[in-house]
Amino acid sequence: MGKKKRGHPDVEELLARPWCYYCERDFEDLKLLISHQKAKHFKCERCGKRLNTAGGLSVHMNQVHKENLTSVENALANRQGLDIEIFGMEGVPEDIIQQHNQRIIQNFYTAQAERQAATGNPPRGLSGGQGPTKKIKMETSEEIKKRLADHRAKVAAQKEAAANGTPLPVVPPPATGPSPSQAASPFPPPQPGFPYPAGAPAYPAMAYQPGAAPGAFGNLPARPPSGGPVPSALPQRPSYPYPGGVAPPGYPVASPVDALGPGAGKGPGGDDIDQLIRMAEAGIKPAKTGEEPPAPVTEKKKKGMRMVYDDTEVSPEEKMAMLPRYRWVEEAAA
Amino acid sequence: MAPSTQFEVSQPPTDAISSLVFSSDSSHRLLVSSWDKHVYLYSITDDQASLLNKYEHRAPVLDVCFGASNNVAFTAGMDRQVKRINLTTGDQTVLSKHSEPVRCVVYSPSHSLLISASWDNTLHVHNLSSSSDASEPLVIPLPGKPHALSSSPTKLVVAMTARLVHIYDLPVLASATTTPPSPWQTRESSLKFLTRAVACMPNDAGYATSSIEGRVAVEWFEDTPESQARKYAFKCHRQAAPEEEGGGDIVYPVNALAFHPVYGTFASGGGDGTVALWDAEAKRRMRQYQKFPEAVASLGFSGDGKYLAIGVCPGFETGMEDYDGKGRTRVFVRELGETEAKGKGPK
Repeated sequence: MGKKKRGHPDVEELLARPWCYYCERDFEDLKLLISHQKAKHFKCERCGKRLNTAGGLSVHMNQVHKENLTSVENALANRQGLDIEIFGMEGVPEDIIQQHNQRIIQNFYTAQAERQAATGNPPRGLSGGQGPTKKIKMETSEEIKKRLADHRAKVAAQKEAAANGTPLPVVPPPATGPSPSQAASPFPPPQPGFPYPAGAPAYPAMAYQPGAAPGAFGNLPARPPSGGPVPSALPQRPSYPYPGGVAPPGYPVASPVDALGPGAGKGPGGDDIDQLIRMAEAGIKPAKTGEEPPAPVTEKKKKGMRMVYDDTEVSPEEKMAMLPRYRWVEEAAA
Repeated sequence: MAPSTQFEVSQPPTDAISSLVFSSDSSHRLLVSSWDKHVYLYSITDDQASLLNKYEHRAPVLDVCFGASNNVAFTAGMDRQVKRINLTTGDQTVLSKHSEPVRCVVYSPSHSLLISASWDNTLHVHNLSSSSDASEPLVIPLPGKPHALSSSPTKLVVAMTARLVHIYDLPVLASATTTPPSPWQTRESSLKFLTRAVACMPNDAGYATSSIEGRVAVEWFEDTPESQARKYAFKCHRQAAPEEEGGGDIVYPVNALAFHPVYGTFASGGGDGTVALWDAEAKRRMRQYQKFPEAVASLGFSGDGKYLAIGVCPGFETGMEDYDGKGRTRVFVRELGETEAKGKGPK
């Protein structure tokens, strides 16, 4: 996302944002997008002239510098082609638009779920009851004591194990780094049998039909062959939910979104939340509510938050007023 | 870009700043009250601030405000007095005597009321339209020590210890004679920690409060569920602590709040030495200015919104056994660009 907003925009707003075909960045308005394209993708590297389209730049290079433009600068690997005439949002192939929308929707629900998980708030417009809400767990003192004892025993066991050098069958906490296969993609690897978060609106028109041949775009009109290498150069994009059940090998790495680089894919830590969601769906409780020790985050917060001034009853001015240099004694002055 | 320049006042107070305020007209007169027992009057012209006069007091001055004209000031003193100062002649008149230091003083031009708040847990209200100076003020008892005071065209907000907030109706205060009127509304602060500053919106719709725990709350006066549901609070003026100190946040008090008289956006100044501009409607931070060398003690917009004055001095922090603002107290004036403080409004 270009700009982080304080409030969280809803999915329609996100989908309405114009975005750049060449690098998938989205913008507040069309004007910004066009100036972005002129500056990033349609700028002549010889003389700095900003053209309106890739074709325009090609002609300019040809006529002014006697050179041939072969690819669009700063573009994603599979979108460097000159054959598509892009100006702002015009000219973007329908299938690419659909892919983009899907990604936005995907990211939106990932981020929403993440926020929900983090805050326990129901989604906007809902008064609760839906979605994973934070449970306030009431424990009796016996239960707390028992949990403490369990935790201590566990820590002791871990220590012992560490001393012995034997690995413990510890369930990795959800906050550990993403696994190598996930690391490359801001998306979770397709999970057979786990459709993307419940409640996400289905965009059935975009879902690939089961059995569709790889490379074909489902019910979308096929691009004419003259459409150039772009559509075919795009790797098969799995849909969410992925009906095929099995991810094509190497899919995550080949996804066009992966090539976007930092900042392009939304939701840092999306892997974590994906895992949380998957765990929730599979009925596994996240460590926080289980027997695990309190999440280190909250502990750190408590320990780390240091107030520069922390007297909640007496103001700094009152303290200063008591210092000898400022003190006022009525009798002395009277 | 419209120009925006910042310059420093050449003869700042010699000790900590308690308050600074611009005159409400466009004369660009700036009053600064200081713990060095003086009130300073500056005149701001295009790109410089010159000291016009300074007025000595018996004790540190905790607050200052302009009166009905830009030639009259009122001060709140550690010596428990509320004084009127004729800025031309320097004549001082004692208007009120509290039994403890006077923390805040506010003048409401629309109702000709002078209100002072003291650590003796009272408000003194002077109606300056009818009575002579000699008349006794109306004394309103408060349930806690007042720490901040602000007035909008029709309301007066008093923030006290124990998170108490009382809102008074100024017309009621103006018509009250002997019996102290009860507050128009009593609220509990939205912030969990000691209130540091209060500022009312110039459009009379609500107010903002800040606390010692790096947080600002925005609330509306109107006592309907819809209006009350709009209130919000946010964290600010915090810094990530270095990892070797255990990480987490260093949380600074938000010492100063000031609303822009024209655009209704507001500025906050914190113990971290930064000033941020906020759009209360859109709930966005518009700007954060470069860090100042010391904590921001007070902020004030000029009556026409052209200048923002920033008073900086070392902040009093927990654990300090002494305090000295000598040589480290400075006043900066920022000339705002045309649209620098203009909010975008709600989307």
